[in-house]
This record gives sequence, C-alpha cells and structure tokens, in this order.
Amino acid sequence: MTYQDYTHDMQRCTRCSYCKWIPYRYMKSTDFMEGCPSLARYNWHAYSASGKFNIAYSLLKDRIEIDETFLDVLYHCQMDGSCDVSCKVQQDLEPLQLMQELRIKCVEEGQLLPVHMLVIEGLRKEDNMMQALKADRGKWTEGLNTKDLSSESAEVVYHAGCRYSYDEELKSIARAGLTLLRDAGVDIGIMGTEEACCGGRAYELGYAGELTKYAEHQIETLRTAGVKTLVTPCADCYAAFKVLYDKIDKKPEMEVFHITQYIHRLIEEGKIRFTREVPVTVTYHDPCHLGRLGEPWIHWQGKETKAMGPMIIHDPPKKFRRGANGVYETPRDILKAIPGLRFIEMYRIKEYTWCCGAGGGVIDTHPDFAVWTGAERLKEAHAVGAEAIVSACGWCKRNFLDAAAESDDDIEVYDIIELVQKAM
Amino acid sequence: MKLAEEEYKALQNIVGSEYITREPVILDTYNQVWGNAFFFDEKHSVRPAAVLLPVNTAEISEIVKVCNKYGILFKPFSSGFEYLSLSLANTRGILLDLKRMNQILEIDAKNMRAVVEPYVSVYRLQMEAAKHGLYTGRIGVGYSAGVIAAECCHHGCQHTMVFTSGYGRNTLGVEWVLPTGEILNMGSGESGDLFSADGPGFSLRGILRGRTGANGGHGVVTKASVKLYPWYGPTQWEQTKKPGEPPSFGQLEKVPDGYKVFVPSFADLDTTLEASEELCRAEILCAFGIGIIGTAQIQEGNDEEWAAMQKARQSFDPAGGISVANSVVCVIGGQSAGELEYKEKCMRAITEKWDGSFSEQFNESRALARAFADIMWSNGVNLRATGDFLPSSSSPDGSPAMLKNLALKEGEVKKRYEESGAFLSMGGGRMVSWRPEEHLSIGAQGISTAQYDPYDPASLAAAREFIDELFDPKSPFKRYGVPSRGGCLQIEPVTHIHQNWGPLYDNYDVYLRKIKRMLDPNTVADWTAYIPPEYPDYAKDGDYVLPSYGKEEDI
Amino acid sequence: MVEIALQKIVGHDNVLTQPDLLAEYTDASSRTTVKTPGCVVRPENATEVEVIVKWANETRTPLVPVSSGPPHGRGDTTPAADGSVIVDLSRMNRIIRIDNRNKIAMIEPGITFGELQEALAKEGLCAYVPLLPRRNKSVVGSVLEREPITRPGHHWDSTDPLLCAEVVFGNGDRFRTGEASGPDTIEEQWEMDRVQMNPFGHSHVDFQRLLSGAQGTMGIVTWITLKCSYMSEINRAYLVPSPKIEPLIDLCYQLAKFRFGGDIFIVNALNLACLLGNNNEEIQEIKKDLPAWIMLTSFEGYGILPEEKVASEEADFKILAAECKLNPVRVIGNASVEKLSELLTQPSPEPYWKTRYKGGNQDIFFLTTIDKTLDFSVEISKLAESYNYSSRDIGVYIQPIVHGTSCHCEFNLFYDPSSRTEVTKTREMLTTACEEIARMGGFFSRPYSAWKDIAYRQAVGTAEMQRKVKKLFDPNGILNPGKLCF
Repeated sequence: MTYQDYTHDMQRCTRCSYCKWIPYRYMKSTDFMEGCPSLARYNWHAYSASGKFNIAYSLLKDRIEIDETFLDVLYHCQMDGSCDVSCKVQQDLEPLQLMQELRIKCVEEGQLLPVHMLVIEGLRKEDNMMQALKADRGKWTEGLNTKDLSSESAEVVYHAGCRYSYDEELKSIARAGLTLLRDAGVDIGIMGTEEACCGGRAYELGYAGELTKYAEHQIETLRTAGVKTLVTPCADCYAAFKVLYDKIDKKPEMEVFHITQYIHRLIEEGKIRFTREVPVTVTYHDPCHLGRLGEPWIHWQGKETKAMGPMIIHDPPKKFRRGANGVYETPRDILKAIPGLRFIEMYRIKEYTWCCGAGGGVIDTHPDFAVWTGAERLKEAHAVGAEAIVSACGWCKRNFLDAAAESDDDIEVYDIIELVQKAM
Repeated sequence: MKLAEEEYKALQNIVGSEYITREPVILDTYNQVWGNAFFFDEKHSVRPAAVLLPVNTAEISEIVKVCNKYGILFKPFSSGFEYLSLSLANTRGILLDLKRMNQILEIDAKNMRAVVEPYVSVYRLQMEAAKHGLYTGRIGVGYSAGVIAAECCHHGCQHTMVFTSGYGRNTLGVEWVLPTGEILNMGSGESGDLFSADGPGFSLRGILRGRTGANGGHGVVTKASVKLYPWYGPTQWEQTKKPGEPPSFGQLEKVPDGYKVFVPSFADLDTTLEASEELCRAEILCAFGIGIIGTAQIQEGNDEEWAAMQKARQSFDPAGGISVANSVVCVIGGQSAGELEYKEKCMRAITEKWDGSFSEQFNESRALARAFADIMWSNGVNLRATGDFLPSSSSPDGSPAMLKNLALKEGEVKKRYEESGAFLSMGGGRMVSWRPEEHLSIGAQGISTAQYDPYDPASLAAAREFIDELFDPKSPFKRYGVPSRGGCLQIEPVTHIHQNWGPLYDNYDVYLRKIKRMLDPNTVADWTAYIPPEYPDYAKDGDYVLPSYGKEEDI
Repeated sequence: MVEIALQKIVGHDNVLTQPDLLAEYTDASSRTTVKTPGCVVRPENATEVEVIVKWANETRTPLVPVSSGPPHGRGDTTPAADGSVIVDLSRMNRIIRIDNRNKIAMIEPGITFGELQEALAKEGLCAYVPLLPRRNKSVVGSVLEREPITRPGHHWDSTDPLLCAEVVFGNGDRFRTGEASGPDTIEEQWEMDRVQMNPFGHSHVDFQRLLSGAQGTMGIVTWITLKCSYMSEINRAYLVPSPKIEPLIDLCYQLAKFRFGGDIFIVNALNLACLLGNNNEEIQEIKKDLPAWIMLTSFEGYGILPEEKVASEEADFKILAAECKLNPVRVIGNASVEKLSELLTQPSPEPYWKTRYKGGNQDIFFLTTIDKTLDFSVEISKLAESYNYSSRDIGVYIQPIVHGTSCHCEFNLFYDPSSRTEVTKTREMLTTACEEIARMGGFFSRPYSAWKDIAYRQAVGTAEMQRKVKKLFDPNGILNPGKLCF
C-alpha cells in the first residue's frame, strides 16, 4: 500500500472531528473526554487524524510539500490509534493506516528526523531500539538458569523486548515474568543475547524495511529453535508479532501471547495461585498495543462498489478493524482475582484508552510531549481515586515513571507482573 | 495570498507566536470540510492566509481591529463540523479557531441557564447540565456541535425541539465582538446578569440571527447564556457493549429512569401525521420523530448495514406490516411517577384513537434504549453511507399540513434521482417527516435528506441539479419560503439564495445587506455564508442568477 | 396642510383635529413633556398606513402609532415631538382568521382582549393574556410591548405569543415577517396551508424581534398572528398563602422548571385584594384576611385526557407545595380562587383594577430572576419608608416568564391623584426607586418614559446599535421620535 491508496479516505473525511475525542457514547467525565494527545496538546487541526487526512490530500494535490512543519505534525503523534477507533464508530475510513503510510513515504524519501536516524542506526548495528549494545542484551537474565534457545529447545520462547531488556528499572519485571512462567511448569526458554528487536517500533517510525527484516529473522530463528509459542511481556512486541507480521504477510506459525494471556491461562489451570493480599487501589491502563492495536490483522482484497444507488460497499464485504478484538478483559480478570486489591476503572479505557505517551517515536523525538501525555493519564488515575496505576507494557511503565517524576506525582506505577508477583 | 509581514506581526503580537500560523501544511487543514465538493468541485476551498487560536474576548477584539486596519477578512468557528464550509471570500483572510475558548463559565441551576464559550460542545453541556437536573437540546449534527454555533451563529434545529425549541430561541444573553472590534453585550448582560438578551426596547437578537445565523459573517460571539430544560434522568449514565462487539454497539441497557420511550406505528401516512399532530399538541413529549426512530442497531460499517438492510427490507414496505416510515418515536419524561403515568396514558389514548399499535420489534427494551440515546444525545451523523447528504428540507418551517405538501412535492423530484441511482434509495413508499417545535405551537421543521456521493461525478451532478430545481425562484417551490436546507447551502457566492429569493420575499435581502454594511463598514467579516454588502458581478441568466458551482476562488 | 393631505388618504371623518379629542391622546400623568398632537389620523387598512408613512417621510412629519384606548400613561404612545400625528389604528379591528387546528389567531391592532376571547371561545381556543389588562387595551399593542402573559409554561421566548406580523416600516416599505413573507397574498398562502405560523427569519434576521418592544419606532404593525391555547374543559386553581415570599419563590421555581400549571404568578396581599375587590372598601375587607404573599396556580384541562391532566399536575403540585411547607387553598377569607380564575381570561372589569384602591397608580416594572425579587421588595419597602410612603400602599406582582428563567417584577405605587402631596411623593419616589432598581441589577427591558434614561444609561452599547438599526428602517426618524433611545 501507499498513501495514495487512501485517497478515498482523504476525500471522505468530513471534519466531524470525532477523532479528537473518545467515542462520545462512552464519555463519562467532561474532564477526560479527549482521545488524541496530539490535538489536545498542540491545538491545530493538523495534529488530529482529520488533519492528517487533510495534509495527505494536499500533498496528493501538490498543494504542499513535506517540510519541517509536515514532519512536525506527522511525528508529534504516538500512533496510538485512539483516532482510528473513534473515527470508525461512524465511518469506514483508515486514519491510522494512512498515517503509517505517510511515515513510510517520508522515510523512503529521506525525510528523516535526526533522532530517529540515531535510533535506527542503533537498531541496524545492535538489533535494539535502545541505542544500547547487543552484547548487553541478555544481562537481565543473569543467574536465572533458564534454557538458552540459541543452543537448546523449548516449547515456549519468552521474548523480553528491547525496553525490558535494557531498562535498569524494568529488568526485574522481565525476570519476574519469566520466573513466574517457568515456576508454573512452562517449558520456556529465552534467546538471551541473541534476542533481537521485533521491528515494530521501527515500523511505526516509518521504517518498513526494518519490520520486514526483523520479521523474517524472528520467524526463521524461532522456527529453527523449535518454538511453538511466543510469550512476551511487552505490548509493543506482542502487536508486532501478532499483527504487524501478519499485515506484511509474514504471519508466524507459532502462537503469540502477551504474558497476561498466558498468566490467565495458568491461573485457570490452577498452576498460578494467589495466596497473598495486595491491599491497594489500582486502576488499569490499557496499553495501545495490547488493546486496539493488538487486534488481529484482517486481510482483504476486493473492490469498492455501490448499493441502493450511491451507498459505498465492498465486494467481497470488507471487515474493518475497529479495536474491539484487542486484549482488554484478560488483564482485568487477573487484577480482579488478586486478593485485597481494589480495582477502579478510569474514564478512558479499552478501545478508547488514552495513550501513555511513549508510542510512535515520541519518547525519542519529543520526550516533553511523551511526559505530558503520561502526566495527563496520571491525573486521570488520581481523579478516579487510584493509589496506583498498573499497565502491561514496559514502555507504558517507563513513561509513567518519567511523568510521575517530572510532575512530582507520588502515584505508584506498576507493571501487572509485579502485582501478580506480590500476590504469590 | 500571504499577509504582509507587518500584518502578520500585528496579529502575532496579540495571540503570541505559538497561537498563529501561516504554515501551508497547517493552513490546508482548515479548508477541507464536508460540503466543499458540492460547492467548489474540490475538497479544498480557499486557503486562509493565517489561522489563529485566540483565548479570550479581548484578543478577538484586538484581532478584529487589526483586520479593519489592514482590510483582512476573518471568520471564526468552533468545531467547524458543518456542511457550510470554512470558506473565505478571498485568500486575504484569516480563520479564528476557537478551540481554546472552551469553558463552561456558569451553570445556574436555579435559573436554568448555562453560560458558555464557543468551543463548548452540546454533549459536554448535556453531561454537565445533567448533574443539575438540566438539559440542552440535541442538535441535528450531533454531539460535537457547538452550543454557541447552534444557538447564535449557525442553524440550531434540534431533534428535541418539541420540548427544547431551537433556532436561537434559547438565547438569554450574548457577548458579541462586532466586525469593528467593539464588544456588545446584549440585554441584561450589559450591566450584569445574563438572563435576558432583549432590550431595552427591541431586541438585537433580531440582527444576531434569524432562522439561521450569520455563520461568522458579522463578528464573533464569544459568550452566550442559554436556557436549559429539565432533565428527568440520572446525573450520569453508561453506554456499554459486550466484549468483542464494535464500539458503535455501545448503548444504554434500558431507557433511563425518569423517561419512557414508545414507538407506535400506524396504518398509513395520513394517519401517522394526524396522530403525530395530536401527540405533539398534547404537551407531553420531550422528544419526537416521524420515520426516523433510531431503534435499529446501527451496524458497524456499510457492508454490515447493507447486509442487515437486505434482511430487513420488508420493514420499508408500507403496504404490509409495520413500516418505519409510519412509525413515530415518542419520548416522555417526568419528575414523578404520576407525571409519567399521565403522559403515558395520554400517549396511549392518542395512539389508540388513531388505531396505532406498538410493534415488538420497535418497542423491545434495548431498541427503545437506542432510540432514546439517538434522539436525546445522538448516534452520530450518517455520512458513512454515501459520503454526504443534503440536509433538511427546503423551506422555512410551518404547519404540518404545509410540510406534508412540500415533502410530497420534493419527494417526487427526489424520486427521479433515486431511480436514476444518483441518490440513496431506501425503496418503499412515500415518507414525510417533520420535527415539531414547542409542542407544535410555532410549527415544525420539514426533514428530507438526500444522500449522494460527492466523489461520484454523476451523483454530484445530480445533487446540484436537484438543488437547482428546488432553489430556482421560478419553480413551483418558490411559494414555500426561502430555501436554506438547514442553513447549510447558503454560500452566497455559489447558491445566490439571497440574490435570487430576496425580491420574492419582501426584499429581505436589501435589509440584510444594509445590516451587513452597518455592522461591518470595512467588510472584514467574511460574508460567504452570510451576505455581501453589495452582490458581486455574477454570471447572469435573465433575472435568475445561476448557481456558480466551483467558481468560488475567482471571486 | 397636514389634515388635508391626510384626509385625502383616509377620508375626512377619519382625521381628528378637535382639541378635546386630541387631549385623549396625551396624558397629564405621563412622565414625558406633554405635547399635544397636531392631529389624529385613523386608517382602515394597511394600504392607507403605507401611504401615510410615505407621506410622513416626504413631509418629515413625526408619526405616533396607537392602538389601545386611553389613558396613555406610560408615555410610549403620546407624542414627544412637535407636530406629531397620531396614527390611531383602532379602526383596523378585524379578526382576520382563527385557525383552530394550528391554534393561531390573525388580528388587526384594533382588537381588544375581550373581543378576541369571545371569538376564540367559539373555536375552542383561548388567548394568552397578561394580568387583567385594561378593557380597551389592544391585543397587538400588548403583545408588541412584551407584556408578560400569566402562563410561564407556555412562554418560550420574550416575543411570545407573537408569531408573524405585517408591518409598514418607517421608510414606507410594507413587509411580512417569518413564514408570512412571500410572493403570495395571505389568502393564497392559506390555500397552501402556509398559515403565517413560524416566526423565524427571513434567513439571517428575525425581523419580528425588531418590532417587539420597539414602541412603534421601527414600523407600524398592521396585523399579527399569535399563538393561542386550547380552551380548558376543566380548570382548578389554588391560592398558596405565605407570610414570607421565600417559600413561594422556591415553589415557583419548581413549577416553572417542570412546566406545571397554567397560570402562575405571585402577588402581595394588596394586589390580590385589588384584583378581587371592586372599590377601596372591598379591597380593605379582602386584604385584612390575607397573608403578605399569595401565589396563584391553575391547572388547565384540555386535550384527550383533560381530567387526568389536571389531576396529575395537581397531585404533584401538592407534593411540591408540601415540600416547601406551603398549604394551597381555594379560599382565604373573602378571597376566592374561583372568582379570580374567572377574571384571569378576560380584561379587567371597570374600573381598571389598578385604579380601584386609590384612583391613581404608578407602575414600576423590570426584569430580574425570581430569586432576587425578595431583595427588590425589601429595598422598595425601605425606600417607601424613607419617603413616608406607606409600603401598605404598594402592590407587588411577580410574573415568571420565559419558562421561569427570569421574571417580570412589578411594583404598583397607588396614590390619590387629587392629593398634590401624594402625587409629588409618588413622582419623587419613582425616580429614586428606578435608580435603585437599576443599581441592584434590575433590567428595564421595556423602557417607558419614567425610566428610559436610566435604562439606557445601563445599555450604552445597545443604544448605539439600536440607533444604527433604526436608521436602516426609519432613515428619516419619523416614527415615534423621542422614544427608546431615539
């Protein structure tokens, strides 16, 4: 696909501006109605999804060029997909896919953000998105005595992901997740130093080639290791393996799970039991990549046709991904099963969650914007009376920690693995 | 056209560099609106020279003064979600994006009013007002409509008009930045509380708006006090769906306590309309609709909708079975069980009198809950079906009998385009729908949408032909009133409504132009959706000025 | 000569020049500088009005439109300029049409409430009426003056019950507002079921709002359509007595909010007694048993279930009243709600109710919100004390309007017109009271001569704009100069 393939969508964006808000029917608090961090922060219509349709159409019509402002507008965006969900409540348009294609176009034409160039250079050299050394990747596993899939085989691979592997504050969570599964009797191994990036975040920056490269690498490597199942604690990685690889026709044969799905299964099988109380009031933050962006890809080939005169339909019928089939209930079920834990929902949840702020390359290029977005989320957590916010993604936790530090917020920030660990 | 550096700096000095832009990338996101293809052949209308994000009345006043000094056009807007475009008469114009003026300044629960800034949406006010047992009416375009846009500046027909009126009837106070930059507070607001916008003497609400507002053509309304209505429901509500269902399936579990919804169906069109009149005049309704009942589950996409329509085809056949076209939705509310009981009894008695019935399909609990949410809040605007629709009916509002005649006449014209495939055809028989105003005491608004595809050349051409037929002052429709179609098609440089229809209707346009000239001596408030002080020299065809589709940027 | 020119338009007998007749069009009790008109012209139809206005433009003759009979006490219909010609519209006294399906009446300026009610009753309809208007009060005049009706539940907008109008603007243009406009005659419109019902427009201007409250300075209205109510098949009303006004205010808000009831208003004991008593003695007799404040609430039964309508509203009303610790009754001493209800749909029997107590009456009225009426009452009482004016001689009338979002607040200063002291005291107190009311936020939306300067001192921006608007419709300023801010 190219961005021109979305000309129909560009034309039919009506400026209803629903993309700026969570779906109206789910609004519960007038203080937390907005869905799009970009628009909320930067105000100009261009920063909304509708604005992206507009700039794409203007580009198509040679009315504008890709310049600094274009890049600013395009990349001050977490690619979180809130706009996509809201738009699709009443339209059959693909704002997020259009934005993705614009990014790919920018990269193809050499319109690169300097910080991204550094990150990607690091990826190409060291197979990670953290500008860290490949050699240090496996350090988080030291002393764990787990199967090394570069020389052994196991049913299940635990893919930690770049963030968990390198972030000092998050390594313990990666370890905890692995330990949980191993101690529950799962035949699990890790790639350790040989673990490579999934390519998902690079793709979101517009580096489509990186996604293809890492998809092929991952599939081949894990197939060779005899892996049947992949489990990851990272929502970004989950979405890459589950959705993006399928999107580019490289769907892995192995099953792909986020760790919450696997933990849930183990709870149901009685292999994980909660025996300790965790007396804290928590609210759950839905990671974009586990939720709406984690919805399985739907392939469609066909054409647009008409019914009843000018009504736009497709042949064959086209199913749109509207966010409904992401992973929402599973993490909640886990939390609600923890003894003593009091669970409260925020106002913007599930398909219409407010982004943590870290996605779309924003944490690298515009860290102030990332932190601002995260801080807005923490306000919401406070507003519902939560003592702690829990998520299921390393990028979310990182950004919430940074946002809390920046705004002197004393809210506890957990990864769900930590709470599970506390309850055992 | 670019602004001179001095001009740009003068504006920048007012709002600060963060809140003004002349970047083409951003400017071109302010000229691509819903109805543009219809008017201009193009999704793009004129690119503004700059866009500003002012934060308060003082800034707007200063901006307008700068515009006067340098002869720059300006146009304000809030959500900008309207058919009518953000078009400017020429490229030497700026847009005022009022996003930062988004405060609900006051809700006076006792005196039943709210004071709001321009970016406050109807739904946000509905949510806040509900906490106080109050409500603001549901605007045609749905959730995101601006309260001030609806009440003061644009159109403001409401789906709940039977109870909550519309068209500016609820305006109790206004702060208005005139095209000269002066600030006018109307009525009691000039010296204090915003409870009456009328007087002393005659009311300046008369020039603020009529059936439709000035659409930015005479300045900026920066604050408005609006009447609120009783809300009998909960202070909060939740629309939910099952896991795995698409977000569009979210709905109330049931009609909220304090309300009841009924959808009676009648044997034929005439009986439906007779019963409708009686229901509306009974003074029991909070909301009402004919033929647009909102009970159906809106499918997640067009393909799903088409599949569902094929299954439900027989619903549109008035010859047998229950017909949507001959069904009405009645919402009643009460602050006590007794009041609800009386209103329900009344509704049932009228239904029985006209041999109506309550089909299970339309009166099942969740169907009624959907109908309630749709008519009281919104389910969104269905632009998805074909990409666009021509809103509302042609004429001014009036009696149900007149609206029926008009609808049937228009229906005959519309049918031709439906049969040719240019307009969406739902099949089935004649449909007449109107929205009552104030328990029908001042008339009703005719509803007759035509859905077409603006990016299908044949469908677009048909839409224009259709409008040309209805808008031709020599046509039989000339006797029904100045056409406006929900205030949405009054782009004067294109549809020439005032120029064509003024002479037939007491030369109202002469007065309108005088008012424009008086308010805006330097013609800086953009007039494309209002009226110019003098008509430009359009192409003429005898005494009928043709629509000038696609020629806007030449003017 | 003026008279000759006018006689050519309306006929000899319809131009009045005799001094005793001219005197009826002035009023010594009016606050304006009393000017005698040059003559009175009495047109029969809109065409004659049009010609008169065009003539007035050519000759720069001030015109003062009048439709009610005397006295003309407020000053809006008495001349303020030399050489004014009174345009007396009372000969235009047709009820042009009653549409009982759409509940509309189309009437000319000369129709009074009594005449209208009689005609409407035959069609099962009833007019919205202000509180016991004078018998010779023009309905058109009352409606255009924005006199408040007694049914706030049906008062959606300040212009109600006005719908459409035909007007001759000050420049001589004849014009129809709202749905009445168009290329057809009104009869041709009726054939199409266009019934001059919808008030909106044309287009971006609500022309009828420029006539409402204009005191004839923008145009001379030759007919209006107005909305009417169904005539009640059954009616029940209550008096709600209270020594303090606060609980009545609370109850009033509840009733207004939920659109209960037909007639709803609050009066003090004196005004209720004046409404019911025929003379000073009777008034005193009635008043002695009354508490300080009384609310009147009626329940009107019409439609498909009239009994149930009344019963339902009445039941809820009683609960709401009890919550406010109030006890609605049907009789208080010699005051009977039944008698009051009979009076409410008709003009005041003679003598006019406001003159029965002492002969003279000076109204002060303005708009405010219902909750503030207590403050105003207290202030006016204090003021009365300072002027040695007995507060027992002040009537109070509070009428919720526009669904209770505000109210018409009226103080009636009763005085003996034969007593120079009382006349002087009343006049002095009037000025001070108006100043104080304005200072407290009272809004003089209907700027009659007694307070128009005060009103416009608070509305400088409005005045400036009104002058500009007036120039568009009456460029030569011939219509009622000296009124409003002109």
